[in-house]
Amino acid sequence: MRSSAIGRDVAVPSAQPRSAAASVSHRAAARKKARPAQEAGLKRANFGEGPGLPTLLLLPQLLILLFFFFIPSLRALTQSVLLSDPFGTTVQFVWFDNFKALFANGEYRQSMWVTLLFTVGQNALTLSVALVLAFATDHIIKGRSVYRTIILLPYAIAPAIAGILWAFLFNPAVGPLAHVLHGLGIAWDPNLNPNHALILVTLAASWKHICYDYIFLVVGLLAVPVSLMEAAAVDGAGPIRRFVSIGLPMLGPTVFFLAVMNFIYGFFETFAIIDAVTKGGPAGATNILVYKVYVDGFVNLDLGSSAAQSVLLMSFALLCTLLQFRYFDRKVNYGV
Amino acid sequence: MRQNTALLALVVAMLAFVAPAQAARIEVQWWHAMSGVLGDRLNEVVEKFNKSQDKYTVVAVAKGNYDEVTNGVIAAYRAKRPPEMVQIAERGYMTMLLSEAVVPVQDLLEKQGYKVDFADFIKPVASFWSYKGRMSALPFNSSTPIFWYNKDHFQKAGFDKPADTWQELEKQLYAIKAKGISECGTVLPGDFYWSLLENYSAINNQPYGTLANGFDGLGTEFVYNKTKVVSQVARLKKWLDDGIMQIAGQGLSPEQLFTSGRCSTFVNSTASHGNIERNATINWSATFLPHESDINPPLNSTIGGGAIWVMKGHTPERYEAVAAFLNFVAQPETQVWWHGATGYVPATNRAYELARERGYYKDHPTREIAVLQLSRGVPNENSRGFRFGNFVQTMLAQRQEVEAVFAGQKSPQQAMDDAVKRGNEILRQFEKLNAGKNLDGDR
Repeated sequence: MRSSAIGRDVAVPSAQPRSAAASVSHRAAARKKARPAQEAGLKRANFGEGPGLPTLLLLPQLLILLFFFFIPSLRALTQSVLLSDPFGTTVQFVWFDNFKALFANGEYRQSMWVTLLFTVGQNALTLSVALVLAFATDHIIKGRSVYRTIILLPYAIAPAIAGILWAFLFNPAVGPLAHVLHGLGIAWDPNLNPNHALILVTLAASWKHICYDYIFLVVGLLAVPVSLMEAAAVDGAGPIRRFVSIGLPMLGPTVFFLAVMNFIYGFFETFAIIDAVTKGGPAGATNILVYKVYVDGFVNLDLGSSAAQSVLLMSFALLCTLLQFRYFDRKVNYGV
Repeated sequence: MRQNTALLALVVAMLAFVAPAQAARIEVQWWHAMSGVLGDRLNEVVEKFNKSQDKYTVVAVAKGNYDEVTNGVIAAYRAKRPPEMVQIAERGYMTMLLSEAVVPVQDLLEKQGYKVDFADFIKPVASFWSYKGRMSALPFNSSTPIFWYNKDHFQKAGFDKPADTWQELEKQLYAIKAKGISECGTVLPGDFYWSLLENYSAINNQPYGTLANGFDGLGTEFVYNKTKVVSQVARLKKWLDDGIMQIAGQGLSPEQLFTSGRCSTFVNSTASHGNIERNATINWSATFLPHESDINPPLNSTIGGGAIWVMKGHTPERYEAVAAFLNFVAQPETQVWWHGATGYVPATNRAYELARERGYYKDHPTREIAVLQLSRGVPNENSRGFRFGNFVQTMLAQRQEVEAVFAGQKSPQQAMDDAVKRGNEILRQFEKLNAGKNLDGDR
């Protein structure tokens, strides 16, 4: 059983030899790689013969995927090539008209641009603030748990509430923080100024997500071997130098993971914040793709266009994640 | 064997659900979008009906705001389990009318033998909810925008009341600001597209779209980029730049800026009577919406609010219950009560007369404004109402363009041209979808 499994694993790469020379070295490398992993004693679960039990155990997850991912995705795909009355009583097949209309539409291009600015800004802000906070956590002796709890609090606040909070704080008519800005001579008005609105939602979305990044980074920093830090300290490196030269590189995989998660968060989960803070305005300045999907589908009842947009949004998110893995993953050092 | 047992269990479970309903009164559902005070009042209407007879029970279900109700009923209809009745906002009229999922209320009421006098409905109310002269949905909560103002601010500035025309009103608002009485002459309403553009067009006899604002067919096109709407948008922009008008923005309702005494005037629905009476700390009053100085006399305004639609796919006895309820809602007594309790206008002339006979307007003069404003003159092609498909979508596109003017990105003319262009694309999509459904001669 066990040896046959190894044999199968090894046989896979050698089954598709490209050129003779390459295949030999490839095969050797594959064998070298495969064998230690198997022999290092990674435990294989044994479910007995036949696919029965494994299938049964996978079933709950597969069902969830089926009902909450595959069926909706399929529905979105079919809806995206239809022009239909919201009640579904009149349906026309329109090929790719919904997609064509989107790309011919200045509003959609604006939405893509806004989404890019928003997600990149949100990502950079969230990660950098979370990094600073995580770094500081290491150097707080008294009340560390209080400090951590306070930073984690925003995560427990519902996005819609967080949104209203920020909208109110920065409301130019009554918001205290808006008054501070006015006092500094800044003509702050997110209801009128598109840039102000975009800054405001970026701030709100980041504030809500910093804690998520923070907790991963704190845990990541805990995994940095103390001996390395001590050695660096003995060599005379200060805390900041130690963090930048040792902590940060060792956090590489975590930071990379968080960047991917932040993008996904920015793409999909910031809907409630946008809805509460700006409703996509003014003049479409914060109308990010996911919010536009919602408005076109559930307010405008333009189901075909909304479905086409959600298909596109899904593709963008996939593309973005793939690109990140393709280009950044290589630069991340996973070794300890 | 095991299958049989499961089947049996299922049948028993279903019987358990069906049995009590058969035994008692016929129960029908009404999904609505009223919350807060208005939701309580709506429940009182339903309760009055349920107590008035012993055959039918109406269950009112709050399903969130208008958008949520619409989405709820769409999902329910697609799952073949729609409620019997649903409250839909005025902008959804064409979508509902052409959905092929509804039963026209006038047909239903007549078939069930109820003699509702449809000719007695107030004109702009009736025409808004009628197709080919027959009522497709029963007007339930009809409103229209009126002009609210802070009496003290006007008196301090030496004015009795707000002027009738936009030109004179502008002078008053600038004077109030110049004298330091108020920092904010007026606040932009959240639904300014309804009150300050659409109703503005009706009152000032400006066409909004071709083919009698859509009443004569689906081929209608917006034309408000060639009317006074452009100068109206320019006026709002000027007021904004000069600090005469403020935008409340998210996190704050425009109404609060008025009721707290910060802004001197406010254009808003007559339906906010309940809220303003409860929340205002100021000495307020209301009057008619202003009109342009070169338009005299001004025409009627148009309605907003919701109507009750009856959904297809139910048993005859359920429709009996629905008809009984709709008949109850249309009664003058119910209308008068609802009018007084909420600030919405009574839907029929008889109900209005009744309220007047009882001296209701002596104590509540501002409640009469909406009725008078709706029923003044004879509605013409420009003031009868609006009949545009996907009207929510075209409105949001228009709002975005107006916001671009406010943000200083576009000139009023440019923005209205773009709004009309975007709106017409949306109208063409609606026309394409509903090609073949005849709307000609809808009056």
